[in-house]
Amino acid sequence: MLEVNAIDTFRGPAHILHGVSLSVGAKEVVCLVGRNGAGKTTIIESIMGFLPLKAGRIVFHGEDLTGMPPHERAKRGIGFSPEDCGVFPELTVGENLMISRWLGEKAAQRGNGSARTDPETQAYDVFPEVKALLQRQGLHLSGGQRKMVAVARAMMLSPSLLLLDEAFEGLAPVVVNRFTEAVMKIKALGVSILMAESHLGAASRIGDRLYAIDRGEIIFHGPPKDALANQDVVKALRG
Amino acid sequence: MTIFIIQVLNSLFYAASLFLIAAGLSLIYGVMRIVNLAHGTFYALGAYVSAWAVGTAFGHAGGGGWHLMGQLLLLPIGAIAIAAVGAVIEPTLLRPLYRRPEEYLLLITFGLLMVLEDSMKLIFGGTPLSAGTIMDAMGSIPIGRLLYPTYNLVVMAVGLGAAIGLWWFIYRTRFGVILRATSQDRRMAAALGLNVSRVYIQAFAIGCFMAGLGGAVVVPAQAAVLGMGVDALILAFVVVVVGGLGSLEGAFIGALIVSFVRTAGIQFFPEIELAVLYLIAAAVLLVRPTGLFGRA
Repeated sequence: MLEVNAIDTFRGPAHILHGVSLSVGAKEVVCLVGRNGAGKTTIIESIMGFLPLKAGRIVFHGEDLTGMPPHERAKRGIGFSPEDCGVFPELTVGENLMISRWLGEKAAQRGNGSARTDPETQAYDVFPEVKALLQRQGLHLSGGQRKMVAVARAMMLSPSLLLLDEAFEGLAPVVVNRFTEAVMKIKALGVSILMAESHLGAASRIGDRLYAIDRGEIIFHGPPKDALANQDVVKALRG
Repeated sequence: MTIFIIQVLNSLFYAASLFLIAAGLSLIYGVMRIVNLAHGTFYALGAYVSAWAVGTAFGHAGGGGWHLMGQLLLLPIGAIAIAAVGAVIEPTLLRPLYRRPEEYLLLITFGLLMVLEDSMKLIFGGTPLSAGTIMDAMGSIPIGRLLYPTYNLVVMAVGLGAAIGLWWFIYRTRFGVILRATSQDRRMAAALGLNVSRVYIQAFAIGCFMAGLGGAVVVPAQAAVLGMGVDALILAFVVVVVGGLGSLEGAFIGALIVSFVRTAGIQFFPEIELAVLYLIAAAVLLVRPTGLFGRA
């Protein structure tokens, strides 16, 4: 469903990604593992359209996304939860969710995305906790709550692919389990996931497949158990 | 006592038009982070367009009730024209500069101020343009032993209506949620499927509409003259500095404070009237650098 073909991306003058290729299939959870600064976020942001490609192309559901603005990509069914969550601080959680729900409803009417049921029901299914926060301002959420709102908000778009950047970062161990459960639920809803993750352990528990990235290049691709068995990969990821 | 009431009414009249200008300035800054130096000139252009339209369509003679109604209905054309000008300027002149440091935007809006000021001189000439027939036709109401122009009350109503309408629009409508989301995090807004470029055009056009409306409502009471835009810009800046740039409540309270102080200044200490306004702005900046309602 998503094909990233040999992309090169720059941040300002810095050449970050060197010929990165990866793919995400239908109903698949793919993890992108690498140390901080390896280029995970740059890959996610290139797919979302925040950074222009210098070379290569990105194809989603057979359509070339290269050069398409981010909002058009969102309309085509790509949900995004950034590393900093991107929850609008001065909007209530309800208003935060409302924005993507409008688009999700339109997508559901057109029959796009994964919308077999109402996107709102789906989102609350994944994180029922969010329902209790609707009146609260984004500013007054804890770190874990912010991450939940960000994922629920992306689910409201009724996406067929969800991009999660460091969804587990900074969470208490109990909450990490809660998120793992949520990811499995999203997968069961038929949504594919591409998630950036710093820890090989967490990634290998969740991912169907795994890409290891170091210094802007993919150094390994395969099932999690092979990655754990590959000493070079483990060493590169631990630094 | 009568004088006092008249002065309060004058302050409110003045506050209404100042609020319209400052709210537009604040809205544009709040959503797009652009300090629009041409904003006062948009206000002046609104005044000129409305005065010209009313003068051209109805001549300069007074008329009956229908005549007055027609003139009043035509008056907002200045606001609509300026909104259209804004909708053209944002994508053509401002958008190419968003990736550059903000000084570029200051420079281009300053350049726009110069170009528009001279264009107005070229198009409308040096003689003041007025829509005073409206003011004359509406007559006055007695307050104590004095008369007060009825039209000024209309301006106050428009100012109050605009404040309520804008508040409702920003905090109670779908587009308001979109505006606020875009102003807080434009990248995330785009990732949720919002067309940020379109929101920017709309926000800029609404801001320009407010400036144009300020000019349009004022022109029956005060003629459109060259230089009125720069004066208005300076006062609007004092308003948003006091109230907080980017805040609607700030523009409202700021406009009231500036108007009352200015009216009192003209009455009691005309020599230092402007200096007092700047002193107030300086005092607010010292105590609350973000203004009374501003956020860091």
